[in-house]
Amino acid sequence: MSLRLLLAVGLGGIPLGAMYALQAMGIVLIYKTSRVFNFAQGALGMTAAYAASAIAVDRHLPMPLALVGAVLLAALIGAAMERLTIRPLRGALPRTMVTLGWLLTLQGALGFYFGNQAGRVAARPFSDQAAISVPAIALAIGWDQLAVLGIVVVFAVALAVFFRSTNLGIAMRAVAEDEQASRLLGIRVDLVSTAAWALGGAIAGLSGVLVTPLLGTLDTTTLIVFTIQALAAALVGGLTSLPLTLLGGVLLGVAQPVVSVLLGRPPGINELVAFAVILVALAVRRQGSRVDASDRGLDPTPTAPLPRGRVLWGGVAAVAVIAALLPVLGRGQWNFNLAQTAAWALAVLSIVLLTGVVGQVSLCQAVFMGVGAFGAAIATGAGVPFPVAVIAGGALAAVAGLAVAVPALRLRPLELAIVTLSLAFTADRFFYAWPPLVSNDQRRTLDVPALLQGRPYSWICIGALLAGAAAVALVRRGRTGAALTALRTSEPATEAMGFSVLAAKLRGFGMSGFLAGVAGALYAGLTGVATSTPFDTTRSILLLAFAMIAGVGSVPGALLGGLIVTFTTLTFGASNSIASGAEAASVTAITGMVFIGVMRIAPHGLAGLASRGLALYRAAGPPQPTPAAAAAQAASS
Amino acid sequence: MSAPLELRGISVRFGRFDAVSDVSLAVHAGEIVGLIGPNGAGKTVTFNVASGLQRPRAGRVLIDGADVTGLPAHVRARLGLARTFQSPQLFAGMSVVENLAVAAHRFTSGGLLTDTLLYPLRRAALAEARERAEAVLRFLGLEELGGLDAGAIPIGITRLVELARAMCLRPRVLLLDEPASGLDSHETRDFVELIAGIRGALGCAVLIVEHDMDVIMPLCDEVVVMSEGQRIASGTPAEVRENPAVVAAYLGAIATDAA
Repeated sequence: MSLRLLLAVGLGGIPLGAMYALQAMGIVLIYKTSRVFNFAQGALGMTAAYAASAIAVDRHLPMPLALVGAVLLAALIGAAMERLTIRPLRGALPRTMVTLGWLLTLQGALGFYFGNQAGRVAARPFSDQAAISVPAIALAIGWDQLAVLGIVVVFAVALAVFFRSTNLGIAMRAVAEDEQASRLLGIRVDLVSTAAWALGGAIAGLSGVLVTPLLGTLDTTTLIVFTIQALAAALVGGLTSLPLTLLGGVLLGVAQPVVSVLLGRPPGINELVAFAVILVALAVRRQGSRVDASDRGLDPTPTAPLPRGRVLWGGVAAVAVIAALLPVLGRGQWNFNLAQTAAWALAVLSIVLLTGVVGQVSLCQAVFMGVGAFGAAIATGAGVPFPVAVIAGGALAAVAGLAVAVPALRLRPLELAIVTLSLAFTADRFFYAWPPLVSNDQRRTLDVPALLQGRPYSWICIGALLAGAAAVALVRRGRTGAALTALRTSEPATEAMGFSVLAAKLRGFGMSGFLAGVAGALYAGLTGVATSTPFDTTRSILLLAFAMIAGVGSVPGALLGGLIVTFTTLTFGASNSIASGAEAASVTAITGMVFIGVMRIAPHGLAGLASRGLALYRAAGPPQPTPAAAAAQAASS
Repeated sequence: MSAPLELRGISVRFGRFDAVSDVSLAVHAGEIVGLIGPNGAGKTVTFNVASGLQRPRAGRVLIDGADVTGLPAHVRARLGLARTFQSPQLFAGMSVVENLAVAAHRFTSGGLLTDTLLYPLRRAALAEARERAEAVLRFLGLEELGGLDAGAIPIGITRLVELARAMCLRPRVLLLDEPASGLDSHETRDFVELIAGIRGALGCAVLIVEHDMDVIMPLCDEVVVMSEGQRIASGTPAEVRENPAVVAAYLGAIATDAA
């Protein structure tokens, strides 16, 4: 490997690195003022890129108009995000989750409107003719790359001046520090936050328009995966320092092609490098930095008491009868739908355990499913009987869950969301192209014996779902469940009660990974093949959205989540596979919007709404003492 | 016989700041020891070293004579060290009795697999934890609180519930971090009686970090005074009150506060 080549590819990475930095600055700007990670930053950039393409390429209007129009659109959406969905919510984690809803909405809407296949022509603001060429090291930098570099440097300096010397910039810093105090000092906090989000959106839009020509494709996933690079650069800058962010982006841009060449250009290596940078940056981040209320996990979801005695056994008997009878009621397609619903419900159940009980937000559940699916396929390929292979796939996914739990120990909930989302991106580009896992043609057949196909397969899937639901319900009742529920509010207090937080988290993540892995293996068995498509990042986010919509605190909520998946495939999709194309896009967009709505008006999901309705109905009976009144009574007695 | 809890030569440093320097103290069986001192004296840091949340730079922590300096907090809890928190940390989303049962699980065994696969065999153990929790609530006269959501009870009561939760560990040593802060003088008197009653019932030793002399004076057998990270005096409450170094430390602190 010649040094000259490395130098050339390294220097050639600078412009792209500068784009990482620009996108990262938008993230930092928004984080600085509102302590929220805008995961939709990449989606905003993509929206602007499509808008610019529509204006300049489809309508043949002048390029400056396209650039300005696209950036304004992104700024407008950014402001709308803040005004309509961020401001009404409390807590950094719910707010960050809402940005995921926007990600889905924008991705789905664009896919629906423009079609989500690659091949669209991107608007090209600058020529790609070589501006600098150094034949000695085979280096050529185009005008577009040079322009990008210039714009990023100008922007970085302008932002630094803005924060240091303008009233609005100083106000933004004050709001980030203490919202209440800023309000008392006469700062119009609402206006300042909206301005920050508009500016962050504009930066995202600008970077989206500028980067698409460099990336060479315009589709509905590339720019979203691009978020991982921006996150890495932003974390190198400690989410505060703009110069360090710029440096981090450029260094990442230089490092990626160099590492890629050194390792023989495996696919997805860029995302893997960015993921490594994110892990390292979080690990060396100043420990013991200020911990405030916004660092807490999700507010605990009230969990309904489990039924006991006759009610319990009656319920169990009824469920068993229904489970046994359902597959008999139809044939073919009916059984396919049943099995599919059960498999996806099991996947949602893995989130009920992790998010509803332990309070950790995982954005990589579909990765665990993929690991389970490919793991089971490898096992059957080696001659292992199908049922054993499914368990083996689940076990492999459990190991993946344990691997995620280790960093989760030191991370705050918000940081864990970043890590798991980054893992999902990395899986999309790297692990789902990694031959030892997915084989050379990136698909593995998963043969189910003819004896088990059709109706028996529905029984298997329903049985797995019921076993999983029972296990989650029992865990919540048991000793480990007590520790898992406890550590959500206070890890020090959990330790003080004699439970190891490490052991508890390992168990929670391991079990969640196992459930998701079995779900993935069962779904792959249903379709007969393990591929990456059903288990990509969008699916991970959708799964969390389904769980939150259905109600993350309840086991029946998981079934509702599975029903949503099947309902959407039945309504919009091809009859025997996950919906794709414009239909899938509309599902994604609708789910995103419903997700945003649910976070806003019913934080405990539909199941939460149902139990609240039930409580209201019961309240019509004899009045119950309020907790405060009962406590006062007990104290005085 | 060795003391249930002993700290030997503890030092903790944050950056260049010596938070605690060479502090030793022992809590003997059945004894109530008060740890007092002005703000910033290093009391809470010392307390955290004892419970295992803070690693000391030097020194050793012993439980019943066994060195536990390297052991994490949850192992020390299982060895009989129970604590409360300065700002009560009840587990939200669980009822009061479930909060207590988390602690009572110290006396049950079993893990994820047995809880799920062998649930029928585990019911007795789970019921036992609950019964222990209910027994403690009865002892404190708080049975009515059992079913309430721990996140929704008044702050004064949360201190009692936290104390009850610590009792469910059947501790050999009970560590209380400013248990009376936020209580009025009437509640404080009740609280002092309660602590004395708990010591009598459980036969455990108690270490209290506290500002409020109305708690320390009637309750403590021994008082250790810290100032600026160092142990400056110890003795019975009466002796400590007369100690010129203690008076100087407190008055100095007051003078600084007033300035």
